[in-house]
Amino acid sequence: MSRITHAFRLFFAMLFGGRLSDEVARAHGYSPVAKKTAPAKAPPPQRTTADGAVQMLAILQRDARLVDFLLEDVSSYTDEQVGAAVRNMHDQCRESLGRYVRLAPVLDGVEGTFTRIDTAATYAKDPSALKLIGNVPADGKVSGGVLRHKGWKAERVELPALPSSQNPTIVAPAELEVE
Amino acid sequence: MQPKYVVGIDLGTTNSGVAYAEPGSVTDPHQLPPVSLFAVPQLANPGEVRDEALLASSLYLAGPMDFPEGSTGLPWESAEDYVVGRLALTRGIESMGRLVTSAKSWLSHSGVDRTGPILPPNAPDGVPRISPVEASRRYLEHIRHAWDYKMPDAQFTEQNVLVTVPASFDAVARELTLKATEEAGYRNIVLLEEPQAAFYAWIERHPDWRERVHVGDLILVVDIGGGTTDFTLIAVTEENGALKLERVAVGEHILLGGDNIDLALARFVEQELASRNTKLDAMQLHALWQRCRVAKEKLFEEGSTEEEPVTIPGRGTALVGGTIRARLRRADVVRIVIDGFLPVVSSNEMPQRQRRVGLQEIGLPYAADPAITKHLARFLRQQASAAEHGSIRRSSSGFACPTHVLFNGGVLRSGIVRERILDVLNTWLDEEGMGRALALPGEDLMHAVARGAAYYGLARQGQGVRIRGGIARTYYVGIESAMPAVPGMPAPLKALTVAPFGMEEGSDVRLPQSEFGLIVGEPAEFRFFASAVRKNDPAGLMIEDIRGDLEELSPVEVNLPADDNAGQLIPVTLETVVTETGLLQLWCVARDGRRWKLEFNVREKVAA
Repeated sequence: MSRITHAFRLFFAMLFGGRLSDEVARAHGYSPVAKKTAPAKAPPPQRTTADGAVQMLAILQRDARLVDFLLEDVSSYTDEQVGAAVRNMHDQCRESLGRYVRLAPVLDGVEGTFTRIDTAATYAKDPSALKLIGNVPADGKVSGGVLRHKGWKAERVELPALPSSQNPTIVAPAELEVE
Repeated sequence: MQPKYVVGIDLGTTNSGVAYAEPGSVTDPHQLPPVSLFAVPQLANPGEVRDEALLASSLYLAGPMDFPEGSTGLPWESAEDYVVGRLALTRGIESMGRLVTSAKSWLSHSGVDRTGPILPPNAPDGVPRISPVEASRRYLEHIRHAWDYKMPDAQFTEQNVLVTVPASFDAVARELTLKATEEAGYRNIVLLEEPQAAFYAWIERHPDWRERVHVGDLILVVDIGGGTTDFTLIAVTEENGALKLERVAVGEHILLGGDNIDLALARFVEQELASRNTKLDAMQLHALWQRCRVAKEKLFEEGSTEEEPVTIPGRGTALVGGTIRARLRRADVVRIVIDGFLPVVSSNEMPQRQRRVGLQEIGLPYAADPAITKHLARFLRQQASAAEHGSIRRSSSGFACPTHVLFNGGVLRSGIVRERILDVLNTWLDEEGMGRALALPGEDLMHAVARGAAYYGLARQGQGVRIRGGIARTYYVGIESAMPAVPGMPAPLKALTVAPFGMEEGSDVRLPQSEFGLIVGEPAEFRFFASAVRKNDPAGLMIEDIRGDLEELSPVEVNLPADDNAGQLIPVTLETVVTETGLLQLWCVARDGRRWKLEFNVREKVAA
């Protein structure tokens, strides 16, 4: 195979097929991974993580108008005006959040007090769940520290299944009132 | 097969609740099986079915642009063209012409055809309307499916089911409720009055109730629901040394409830906003209505602030900029709710009667006088004319004097509302020279009726005490006097007592002394009357002057099938039966024993 041909076939194979042709792969010393032959079943409509994120936004918008608030330019309003709108929104956001996501502290202690690291149990060695800050020794081994933030974890997320006819990109429908 | 559960259903004006108990779950005969609440799965949002403590008694007739396709499915086979429950309400507020609410109030409205497609009354042309009976049927059917979905090993139709109705529902409204349950596929149904159910719930919560009430006591049940107010008196009597409970009086149907109160607050705030040139549209007014309810409950809590902010978010994308702000002051809420709906009145002040206007918009016959205390005064005063009946504790003026008050319904969750009613009542009792009444502590005022209905289901099986009551009114058929016709004057009407007050379930009354001639093959119609006040009329009594206490109901009619002897006149007598279900039936009985049932004719408007 000429380098030009090769390059083009590689280019188009990647562009349209998303994978190398077996021939090309072999030429480069890769062996195609035997594809698992799944039973011939219609794949469920693919939902991406983006859909879940949009759905969460849509819920908070529907129940509490959160997106409206975040996208609004509030610089010209007084604190009193913002406060009046937010109080209501806060109640509703809290209610919806509680309904679809169960949030719990990662480390359930009293903030501002010394807390032993083993209280964090399985999270003690997980840097994504427990962040050591301040004078951390070189080996990262500490017995504990002052709890600055309890952290939050989503213990459970229960978003309702989106009907297939629901446009997954819509955060809030436009409203048209017939007079 | 023996039913596993008893199921109590509170089919409410704005919300419906379900509770159940398992009679076989306890072996000790002195112990009562626990009553549990049944959370009803329903659509809360498109595509989201959620368990809720109550089923919103709302129905939305869905149009083609209402919901994304397939998003109104339920975990069971369900219709595509309507939605029941919470989603119906939230969507319906945005599109009122397709929303059916308060079907129960329509069910008791004798001025309309209750089996005809009349709801929603303001539906745009082309929207297929439904009847109040059909709306009730759909709520009941939803509950049946929800039960079968969550309790797959105990089919709903196999269980003992109790459905509650307001005590003030007349025989026609009861029959229509029963018709809705039958059409919803229910079997083994018993009807129960709501205030009685509330009292059963109290008994269920207080196993020591025999120490709390005594022989001679009179319990007033005040039930203020979302749409109706209901009064009932229950007397504590004695039989063979054991305490006995007897429902001795029920009030008239008052279409006045918590929704009216919250709406009054919303209207007040709306006026204040209008004075600042802020106008609200229908949807914002509804949002305001909900916010006022929340603010009212906060202001009525002990140690609350003097005022609560009420905010209505703007309609467009500008949330902060569009927010309408108002305040509800405690003083205003007290003035509107307490002084407006529960004014301090004397026990002789009667509510204003319904105004009669020649042309009236077809709508619900809301109470003309919002003063609930006046309705209560009237109810207690009315018992004077029934002086001989039952064991009602009375003052020398005949005024009924309760010793205890049991509150039920969402409005009465506020302590300040309960206190006002009790204060007014006690002022009256002081004037009558009688002892003061005590409040019976109730709990869970939103679910008490469903719980109590489940308890009654147990009581019917011998696991608990039953309140004796029977029918809550005296019923009459109208009979034209045999007099020479006078032009321009209708023949005077007399009324024959066919069912005396308190006639019990499973009993019957024959009236052999009055014979009517019915022509075979032609419908014969009888005018039908009821009275909640005349409690001493025995069956067979003829009342010469029917003006005053008697209230006309839908007529009853019978059509003797035309066989070979068409055109013949058959002499019949009337027989009244109160079924085990609690339903009043009238029969025509021929001399040879053949029987025909008199059916309510609800299709025709009653000329009152």
